[in-house]
Amino acid sequence: MDKLADRLRDDAARIDVSISDELDHRIEASLRAVTPEVEPPVRQPARSPLFWWASTITGVAAALAVIALVNMQAPEETQIAPPAAIVSVPQMIDINAESVMLTAPLQQELENLQSDLKKAEEKVKRDIGL
Amino acid sequence: MSDELQLIAAAKAGSADAFADLVRGYRERLLRFLLTRCASMADAEDALQDTLIASYKYLHTYDPRWRFSTWLYRIAIRNAAKLRGPDLVEIGDLRDEENGPLQQCIADSESENLWVTARQLLSDEVFAAMWLRYAEDMSVNDISKALDRSQSWTKVNLMRGRRALETKLNSAAERAYG
Repeated sequence: MDKLADRLRDDAARIDVSISDELDHRIEASLRAVTPEVEPPVRQPARSPLFWWASTITGVAAALAVIALVNMQAPEETQIAPPAAIVSVPQMIDINAESVMLTAPLQQELENLQSDLKKAEEKVKRDIGL
Repeated sequence: MSDELQLIAAAKAGSADAFADLVRGYRERLLRFLLTRCASMADAEDALQDTLIASYKYLHTYDPRWRFSTWLYRIAIRNAAKLRGPDLVEIGDLRDEENGPLQQCIADSESENLWVTARQLLSDEVFAAMWLRYAEDMSVNDISKALDRSQSWTKVNLMRGRRALETKLNSAAERAYG
């Protein structure tokens, strides 16, 4: 310790105080009149940790099941798209098909149309060398 | 378990006797400290009583990682500030009192008590830091906890306090020796 610290410590000791009997009684009486506050009890969790683990696992499993279900259904939806492209093929064929006069009854017209379609198909097959 | 911890445990359980034993050794030290911060001996005694009551009442909040004295001084500092209040007595009034409570309790000596000089020179908090360091021999860590300040603040202000006192002492010595 240096000189200043020594002097400060000595000077503090030179401050002469004492607890008077009156103050002593006063303090003791006031302490007896006080009830110390009790530490509030630590709140226990309402459910055990096992419960939380079980709910977490159940939730994760449910989420995985939903994801798997969605992924299994997805390819079927994509297979629906190609027929739309096939539908467009007859439109190409119609360009070269003979026009049909709608003068006969509907059944006859249908047969004529089917016959024309067949002819057109054969013509296309011949053109592409099948 | 140390005696102090045993007394703390008994006091927490509601034993006023255990608490009285626990604080018996601190009462005079606290009163001496409070005397430097209050306007009169009566105020210092009231502050001591309030400090002990509050520490008994809220003993359950005491953290054993702290030194018990650090915790007590922290409560004492707050109580003294509360008792004095910002509008009741100005710090300057305490400093200028020639027959103030501190002066009355200082034994006659050839040299002036350095704590009276410190009271005149230093702010409230710096004075408290100096007191806890040199009169109570507390560590910087404990002082910063008691004053609710950072350790760097405590170190810097202890240094400033020392420098102010040394400057005052040196100028007094120069005057004395012409």
